[in-house]
Amino acid sequence: MTTLSNHVPDPRLITAFAEHRDGPLHRINPWTKVGFVGALVLAVTVFDRLALLAGLYASVLAVYGVAGLPYRRLVGWYTLPLLFIISVAGPLAFLEPGTPIVGALSTPLGSLSVTWEGLVLFGELACRSLTVVTFTLAASMTTRYADVAYMLGRLLPRPIDQVALLTYRFTFVMIETLENLVKAALSRGANFSEFWSNKRLYARILGMTMLSAIEQSERLVKSMEARGYDGDLTLYGDVSRPPIHELLLVVGSYVAVIGYAVVAVYGVGL
Amino acid sequence: MAHIHLGEGSFPLWALVLWTLIGAGLISAVVYRVRKGGIKTHQIALAGIGAAASFAIFQLNIPVWGGIHMNLTGLVGILAGPLLGALIALVVNIFSAALGHGAVGLIGANTLVNASEAIVAYYAFKTLIQLDWDTFPASASAATLGLSSGAILMGAIIVVSGVNGSALPRADLTVAVGGLVGLNLGVAVIEGVLTGFIVQFLATVRPDLVDLADRKDREEPAGVTA
Repeated sequence: MTTLSNHVPDPRLITAFAEHRDGPLHRINPWTKVGFVGALVLAVTVFDRLALLAGLYASVLAVYGVAGLPYRRLVGWYTLPLLFIISVAGPLAFLEPGTPIVGALSTPLGSLSVTWEGLVLFGELACRSLTVVTFTLAASMTTRYADVAYMLGRLLPRPIDQVALLTYRFTFVMIETLENLVKAALSRGANFSEFWSNKRLYARILGMTMLSAIEQSERLVKSMEARGYDGDLTLYGDVSRPPIHELLLVVGSYVAVIGYAVVAVYGVGL
Repeated sequence: MAHIHLGEGSFPLWALVLWTLIGAGLISAVVYRVRKGGIKTHQIALAGIGAAASFAIFQLNIPVWGGIHMNLTGLVGILAGPLLGALIALVVNIFSAALGHGAVGLIGANTLVNASEAIVAYYAFKTLIQLDWDTFPASASAATLGLSSGAILMGAIIVVSGVNGSALPRADLTVAVGGLVGLNLGVAVIEGVLTGFIVQFLATVRPDLVDLADRKDREEPAGVTA
C-alpha cells in the first residue's frame, strides 16, 4: 500500500478505517458530517482572528483524536495542503506591510523583512486550510463506502452522479492496477528514483494505467448495457436523516458562524 | 493538473461565492450540452473510469523537486474531449477535496482551473495534429499549453480574489503569486513531456484512442500508381 506515496492519502486506507474501525465519529450520521464540513468552510472563510482560527483548528484536531484516527498519518498527509500555504503565504509573510520582526535585509529590489502581520497571515492561512483538511479526512475515514456512494448519488445531478459513482467504484481498481505495474517494473530492476532518465518508463506505466482504464470502460459498457442500464446506477444503501440532536448541533454551528460574521466581521449592530 | 490546489479559506467570502457560481455555470453548460447531445453509456463509463485513473495516477510520487504529483488533466482532455474532460475535472476535484487535497469551498475555482487545462489541451492537440505535427510534439505542446493556461488562470483567480486577511495591494500580490505561477509552469513542462510520451505510447498500441487511426491510414504509402 505504500508503494506509490506516503504523503497522499490512500483511498483504500481511508476506506479501511471507515469500514473496520468503530469510534464516536463513525456513529455520527453522514449527513451531519456533511453539514459540519459546510459550517467549517464558512467559519474558516469569515473568521478573522488568529486566536479564533487556532482554537477552531485545535478543536478539530481533538475531534480527529477522539475519533481514534492516527495523528502520525495526518502529519504526512499535510504535505500537499502545506505546499500551497508555503508557496502563497510564504512570500506574503515578507511582502505584507507592517512591523518587521527583526531588522530589514537589504536586497537589490529593496529591503526585505518578515513582518508580524505577515507571520500572523501565515498562521491564519495555515489554520484555515488545515482545519477543513483535518475534518474532511476525519469524515472520510469514518463514513462507510456504501454511505459515501449513496450521498454522491443524492447530492450530484445526473450525469455527474453516474460518473462520480463509477469513479468511486473504480478508484480502488485503478490504484491496484497502477501499483501492480510499479511493482512489476521494480521487480524487473527498474529504478524510480530519478525521473528524467526514466521518463519513458514512467510514461509506459501511466500510459498502461490509462489504457487499462479505457479497456475496462469498454468492457463495462457491454456489461452495463447487458443489464439494461438506462442512465441510473441503482444504489442499494440508504442514509437516514440525522437525529434531531445532531440536526440542532449543525444548525447551531451555522447560526454561530453567521452570527459572528454579521456582528464581529461586518459590524452590523444588534 | 500540474498545479497546487487552492487552499481552504484563502479567499474572502464574496470570492468564494463568485468562483463557485462561475464553476457551477461552466458545469451546468457542460451538463446541458452533454444531455442535449444524448449521453451514451460509453461516455459515462469512459468519464467514470478515466477520472478513477486520473485520481489513481495522482497517488504516484514523481521524483522531481522533492516529489510532485500529477493528474494528467491534459491527457484526460486529449482522450476524453472538452465536455467529458470538464466533468472529470469536477469529479476528481470532489474526490481530492474529500481526501484533504484542495478545498471543499473552492471546488468551483479548482474545477475552472482544471477544466481549462483539459479544454485547452484538447483543442491545441486537435489543431496541431491538423497541422501535421507528429504525435509526441503535438501532445507534449498541447498538454504544456493547457497546463500553463491553468496555472495562469489560477494566478489570476488569486490576484482577482485577494488573499483572505491580507492587506497587500494587488500589484504586490501579483509579484507574490508570480513565483507560484512560475513553479506551476515548470511542472507544466514536466507533465507536458510526460503526456507526450504517454500519447505516443497509446498511439502505437491504440491509435483510435487519440483519433489517429484515420491519419495513420491516410499516411500509409499508397504505392506507385503510375
